[in-house]
Amino acid sequence: MKQQVIRNFSIIAHIDHGKSTLADRLIEHTGALTEREMTDQILDSMDLERERGITIKAQAVQLEYTYEGQRFELNLIDTPGHVDFTYEVSRALQACEGALLVIDAAQGVEAQTLANLYMALEHDLAIIPVINKIDLPNADPDRVMEELVEIGLDGTEAILVSAKQGIGIESVLQAVVNRVPSPQGEAQGPLRALIFDSRFDSYKGVLVYIRVIDGVLKVGDTMRFVATGKEFQVTEIGVFRPHPVAVQELGTGEVGFFAAAIKSVQDTRVGDTVTLANKPAPTPLPGYRPAQPMVFSGLYPVDSQDYGRLREALEKLQLNDAALTFEPETSVALGFGFRAGFLGLLHLDVIQERLEREYGLALITTAPNVVYQVTLIKGEVLRVDNPALMPPAGDILEISEPVVDASIITPTEYIGAVMELCQERRGTFKDLSYLDPKRAMVQYRLPLAEIMYDFFDQLKSRTRGYASFDYQLAGLEVADLVRMDILLNGEIVDALSVIVHRDRAYYRGKALAEKLRELIPRQLFEVPIQAAIGGRVVARETVRAMRKDVLAKCYGGDITRKRKLLEKQKEGKRRMKSVGNVEIPQEAFMAILRVDDPS
Amino acid sequence: MNIEFAPDDWGLYVHIPFCRARCTYCDFNTVTHMGEDQHRQYLGAVAREWQSAKLPTGRLISVFFGGGTPSLVHPSLIAGFLGAVRDRIGPIEDVEITLESNPGTLDPNRLDAFRQAGVNRLSVGAQAMQEDHLKALNRIHGVEDIYSAVEFARQAKFSNLNLDAIYGLPNQTLNQWQETLSKLIELGPEHFSLYHLQVEEGTSMAIGVAQGGLHLPQEDIVADMADLALTMLNAAGYEPYEISNWARSGHESLHNQLYWTMNSYIGLGAGAHSFHNNRRWWNFRGVRRYMMMQGAGESTVEGEEQLSVSEQMREYMWLGLRRRAGISKDGFAIKFRRTVEDVFQVPLAKLVDLGLVVNGEHRIWLSHRGWEMANYVFRIFLDSGTG
Repeated sequence: MKQQVIRNFSIIAHIDHGKSTLADRLIEHTGALTEREMTDQILDSMDLERERGITIKAQAVQLEYTYEGQRFELNLIDTPGHVDFTYEVSRALQACEGALLVIDAAQGVEAQTLANLYMALEHDLAIIPVINKIDLPNADPDRVMEELVEIGLDGTEAILVSAKQGIGIESVLQAVVNRVPSPQGEAQGPLRALIFDSRFDSYKGVLVYIRVIDGVLKVGDTMRFVATGKEFQVTEIGVFRPHPVAVQELGTGEVGFFAAAIKSVQDTRVGDTVTLANKPAPTPLPGYRPAQPMVFSGLYPVDSQDYGRLREALEKLQLNDAALTFEPETSVALGFGFRAGFLGLLHLDVIQERLEREYGLALITTAPNVVYQVTLIKGEVLRVDNPALMPPAGDILEISEPVVDASIITPTEYIGAVMELCQERRGTFKDLSYLDPKRAMVQYRLPLAEIMYDFFDQLKSRTRGYASFDYQLAGLEVADLVRMDILLNGEIVDALSVIVHRDRAYYRGKALAEKLRELIPRQLFEVPIQAAIGGRVVARETVRAMRKDVLAKCYGGDITRKRKLLEKQKEGKRRMKSVGNVEIPQEAFMAILRVDDPS
Repeated sequence: MNIEFAPDDWGLYVHIPFCRARCTYCDFNTVTHMGEDQHRQYLGAVAREWQSAKLPTGRLISVFFGGGTPSLVHPSLIAGFLGAVRDRIGPIEDVEITLESNPGTLDPNRLDAFRQAGVNRLSVGAQAMQEDHLKALNRIHGVEDIYSAVEFARQAKFSNLNLDAIYGLPNQTLNQWQETLSKLIELGPEHFSLYHLQVEEGTSMAIGVAQGGLHLPQEDIVADMADLALTMLNAAGYEPYEISNWARSGHESLHNQLYWTMNSYIGLGAGAHSFHNNRRWWNFRGVRRYMMMQGAGESTVEGEEQLSVSEQMREYMWLGLRRRAGISKDGFAIKFRRTVEDVFQVPLAKLVDLGLVVNGEHRIWLSHRGWEMANYVFRIFLDSGTG
C-alpha cells in the first residue's frame, strides 16, 4: 500500500540555526535538483523573506529517496517562523507526522527551539533532533546533547550535521524513513484534505496546498471548501520536486497542490478541509480557525495623488494573503487612505515594506491598534477598529477589548521577570506550573493590545531569549479604556489618537508627548503638543521654534550649489505630512510604539 | 548701504587653487602639491583664458582672487595678471581688487608687492583665535600670525581689510567664539565675513564627525553664536549687509554683492563659475586638465545652464534677499517688465503674513526673523510659480 512509503515531515528551528540550508541539502541530496538549479534557500521564495531571515509562505517539496531497495516519497513541508504566524505553523505541522528539530551546534537550545518543539509535540509529531553547524570552530555538540536531555529529548538520538558542508545528510534521510511514522487515514473513505497554504498564480489562479488525510483527490473532481461551501472543478494537480510536476491524483497521506480556477485566496482558508461535492465527508478536520486580522492600522499615501495606486497595490497583495483586509477610511489630518487589518506587527511590517518597495509608494502608517467592542448607553454595540472613531465617553456604557491566554515557558530563574512583565502589561495571573525542576510554564490572560507592540522583544530580553511564548485568543473582556487625543498647535490630529487604559493614561500621555517632541522637528513657530482625554489636557510638551535656518557659507559664485542645497532641503520636507501648518514626519505616527512602559 | 550697481557693472573672479595644506573642513577646488613652476604655468593659462574671454560691455568694478590660497603665489604673478587686465580694458585704479590670504603666507615684502601690483583689499583667513582650533582645522598658521598679518597689511597701506572667521567648529564653546570675535574686533578691520561651519561630504572633518571623534556644538549653541556675532559686531560699528558679511559703512565688498544682484561676473581658472546674459557656466575643476586645455586652445567650460525668465525672477528674489537692502521693486519691474507683486503675489503675502519679509514702498527685505530663517524664505521662492 502506498501509504507505507510516504513520510511527511517539517523542519523546525530557532531563527538562523540553519533550517533553510538543511532543506536545500536534502533536496540536493535526493537529486530533486541538479546543482546548477540550486540557488541557496529555495524554500523562501520571496526576496523580502530572505532578507529578513523569516519565512512566511509554507511550501512543500516532494523528495524521492531509495533506502534498502525501497523507494520512499518524503514530503518536506516548510513552516513560517514567527509568532505572528503561529496558526499557519500549526496547520503545517498538522500535515506532518514528524519533524526535524534543528539546533545550532554552537548556540544550543534557544527560545524558539523550545516554542517550536512544544508546538510539534502538541501535534504528536515524532521529533528527530538535528545538531547543525558542527563544522563551526565553536561547535559543542556534546553540550547541545545535554541540553536536549534537559528539555526531555534523547540526546543520543541526535544526528550531527553540517548542512553547509553536506555532512550527515544521508543519516537525516534514513532517520526520516525509520523514525517518522507513515501516514494513517482511510484510503477508501470520503475525501478529507487539509489546506496548509495557498498562493495566487496569475495563470492558474490560486494554488491550494493540501495534505490528503482520507480518500483521494483526482483531476476533474468537483471539490468543496467546507468553511465557505464554495465548489470548484479541479483542473490540475501537482507536486513540487521542487519544480511543479503534474500528477493525476493525490492519495491518502500525500502532499501536493491543486488548481481549480479559484480567483482569490479569500476562498482558500488555511486549516479548512477540502472534500468532494458529490461525496462529502460527514465531519471536517478539527482545528480550523478563520484567518482573522488582529491588528489594525491606517495606511495613507504621503502624496494624496497615490491613493488609487495604493488601492491597487493592496488588492494585488490581497490576492495572495488571506489575512490582509482593508477598507477605505478618511482622516482629517491625513486625507484618504485605508484601514488595514493584519495578523500582527510583523505582518504589518512586511506589507508596509512591500508596498513601499515593490510598488514605490511613500506611506504614512498610523500606530496599530486592536479592534474594540463598544456598547453604547442606548444599547447599540459597535466594532471600533480606529481610535479616532471611538464615540464620546459620555455615550459609552462599556468598552471590551480582545484578550489572549498566553503560555510562557521559561527557565525557573526568570519566573519573576516574566510575571513582572505580565503585570506591567495588565495581565491577570492564571497559573504557574513546573515542567521539571528547571523549567516552568507561566500562564496569564493579557489584553491583546498589550502584547502587540514589543511584548515578545521584552520577554526575550528579560529572559535572555530563553522564554517561549504562545497565545490563543480568549474572547473579549471589559476594560476601563479611554481615547486619548493628541493636539498639535491646538488642533486634534485624529491619526494620532490612541486608546489607553485609564490608569495609565496620564503616564502614556506624558511619554507620548515627550516622544512626539523628539520626533517632530523644530519649525518656523513653536508647536505645542498636548495629550488630552475628553477635552482634559493630561500632558503638554513644546517643540521650540527653529532658531536659525540660514546658509551662512560662501561658495564663490557657485549659485547652482546653493540652489541644490535648498532643493535637497525641500526634498526632505516632502517626506513629511503637513497637518495644519505643522510638518509631521512619518515616524511620529508610530510614536506610541516607541513609548516605553514604566519598569 | 543702499548700494545699487548699474545693471551692467560686472566683476572678475580668478580662482587660485593652490594651498600649502588642506584644511579639514575644506571641499573647495584646491591642490597642495604644486610648486612655483606650476603656479606660473597656471597663471599663464588664466591669462590666456582672460585674453579670449568675451567680456560684458559695462564697467568692471571688481577683481577678486579667491582660492585656494591666492597669497601663496608669487606677487609678480598677481601683478602680471593685473597687467593683462589693464592691457585689455585700461586703468583699474577705481576697481575693488581683493586678494584672499592665509596669515601663514604673508610677510611685509610680499604684502608690499601685492599692494604695488594693485591689490587694494586684503581678505585674511583668521578662522579662529585659539591655537587648538587652528591646529585641529589643519590651518598652516597660529594666532600670532594673524596679529602679524594685520600689522603688516596696515604697514603696506591696505586700508580695506577683511577678516574671515568660522563658528560652529567641533568642540567650540560660546566663550571661545566670543574670544575670537573680541580679539578680531580689536584688530579693527573694515569688514568681516563670518561663516557657519558646514561639514561637507568627503572632507576629513566629515570622517571625524562620522566616526564620533569630533563633536559639533548643538543647534542652540550655534544659534547663540550667530546672535552673539550680530550683537558684538553691531556694538563695534559693523553693519550686516549680507547674510555672512559685516562692514563699516562704505566698506561693503562690491564683489560679494555682485553675486546677489544678478550682475555679470566672469570666472577664470579651474572650476570657476561665471554668470552673464542669464547664462551660468563653469570650468573643469582639474587644475592640470585646465592648464592642458588652455594650452591647447580648447574650451575649458564643463557645463552651463541658461536661466528661463521664471528662473531669473526666482533667483532675483532668493539671491537678492540675502542682502540687508533686499531687492528693489523698480529694479525688478525694469528687468522683467512686471511688478514683483504681480509675479509673486501668493508667496509674498504668505511671507509677509508669517513676519519673515517686509514689503516696503520701494524695496522688499527680510525681517529680523526672516534673516534667521532665510532658507525657509528662499525655499518658498524656489518653489513658487511665476504665474
